[in-house]
Amino acid sequence: MNIKENISGKTIVITGSTSGIGFATALLLAKHGANIIGIGRSDSKCRRAEDSIRSSCKDPHVAYIIADLSSLKQVKELAKNIRQRLGNEKNGKIDVLINAAGTFTSWYVNTVDGFEMQFAVNYLAPFLLTNELMPLLKRAPAGRVITVSSGSHYRTAINWKDIMLRKHYNCLMAYKQSKLADVLFTMELNRRMGQMSTVRAFAADPGLVNTDIGFKGTSGIARWIWKIRRRSGTNPSVAAESIAFLSCEPSIQHSENIYWKDCKPLKPSRYSQRADAAQRLWEISKRMCARYMLDPASGYTNMSEE
Amino acid sequence: MESLICITGASGGLGKAFAVECASRGWDLFLTDISKDLLSNLAGSLSSTYGVDVIYHTCDLTDCSSRRELFRYMEDKSMKFKGLINIAGLDYEGAFVERTDEQIRKVTRLNIEGNLEMTYGILKLRDRGQPFRIINVASLAAFYPMPLKAMYSASKRFLLNFSIALREELRPIGATVTSLCPAGMPTTAECIRAIDSQGFMGRITTKNVGFVAANTIDHALKGDAVYIPGIINKIIKFVGSLVPPIAVAHIVGIRWNMAHKKRKVLDL
Repeated sequence: MNIKENISGKTIVITGSTSGIGFATALLLAKHGANIIGIGRSDSKCRRAEDSIRSSCKDPHVAYIIADLSSLKQVKELAKNIRQRLGNEKNGKIDVLINAAGTFTSWYVNTVDGFEMQFAVNYLAPFLLTNELMPLLKRAPAGRVITVSSGSHYRTAINWKDIMLRKHYNCLMAYKQSKLADVLFTMELNRRMGQMSTVRAFAADPGLVNTDIGFKGTSGIARWIWKIRRRSGTNPSVAAESIAFLSCEPSIQHSENIYWKDCKPLKPSRYSQRADAAQRLWEISKRMCARYMLDPASGYTNMSEE
Repeated sequence: MESLICITGASGGLGKAFAVECASRGWDLFLTDISKDLLSNLAGSLSSTYGVDVIYHTCDLTDCSSRRELFRYMEDKSMKFKGLINIAGLDYEGAFVERTDEQIRKVTRLNIEGNLEMTYGILKLRDRGQPFRIINVASLAAFYPMPLKAMYSASKRFLLNFSIALREELRPIGATVTSLCPAGMPTTAECIRAIDSQGFMGRITTKNVGFVAANTIDHALKGDAVYIPGIINKIIKFVGSLVPPIAVAHIVGIRWNMAHKKRKVLDL
């Protein structure tokens, strides 16, 4: 597959792109001529990432925006910012949205909105961001929404009674659940858009990747475990290849396969394929984001199944 | 308007956990803290997610005119309360002689004075048609004198004593007072660093705020006097009670000095 042909000139928004899988993906796609809008929490990391990409590319088109995805207000502001930037361009559109931002926290931490951190960053932020950017995604001839999920979504169910795992928080269960939520979200998004839509959503399984995710919100044992575990992980650039494939391979635009690993379709867990679970999660998420989804022009509100 | 649960210090780590827990049980809330933005954001989110009414009003609990204004606001809106969760409190950890006089005043003003005035004021506005629940956040530090946290542990001891006594006084009117005595909780990045610096002991005594909030409310609904989250902490408290306080202070002092040295190294 020739990435360069298919990716050059496309506008791609990537969250979590100052390190790990997000950065590797931004770098790869920028090298092949895409216009990258990168997102990160830290001003210095954003600048470093942008400089790094600029110095590695012949003709770089890259800009970073700072946003803390643990705050729904900032997610909304970010979307508004992107809509304004691209709205000013003649044929402003987003070809690909890559939800690569992910976190792992040892302790139960509430975000400013009162949501558990992993749930908020790994799942709810992609939910809201995708909604807010949907009008721009719809303008692309072959729009894609790629959410980085994980093999840890297998053998997991959503705890409907305590979806944030408040009372008996287990950091690993919270992570697994958030990654399962990503798959359910992807499935439900496709159901609502319809198979022949110009926007198709995919969940990417990057496998075990050697990143710093296990060092950023963790303490003690979790750090030590990640230090050992990540040694057997692949380089983020491997996952980036896989995500690049999902971003621009034309033949999969109407594919029934939603869950992909190493550029090949994989069957996700049985639970993640349940339409009732996906719908239930969607409705809960809408309630959580309701304040920020009031704009009638925003993506999900003008879908036929509403 | 339905009767409300009032939560002070609602935008802090533990405050948010209590607010979320109460909202998830379908209870309408009144939240107060210093920051308007944080409160307004939290209130909107809880309201939308759980379908409860959440009112908020800022207040600097260390300042009497701010406290008076808060009660005026409540009275103007004819608010009635079925519960009060006093979380607002602070500590300036470190040697007493290295504190500023403003810091010294603030600890007693917030941890003791603020708590007493809130309890007094909200009791006056209680809904007399149902049981009234007070939760006071004390600390495991209430049980023994703690060098490097001398004012804090003393203020929590004050709260604990006061709460147990008040509980007896309020029995006839169907009100209960529950004192929450946790060890450290991972509420902020600073707290998490502090927990890490205490090594193994830090990890086994620490409980997540979601767990603490949920269980405290369950204990409060039963009218229990004291709740210490975590079996390890219960054991520590029991063992501590068998040892003379002066000896405990000495042991605790050694441990905290070690933890502080370790934290200084980690921060470098």
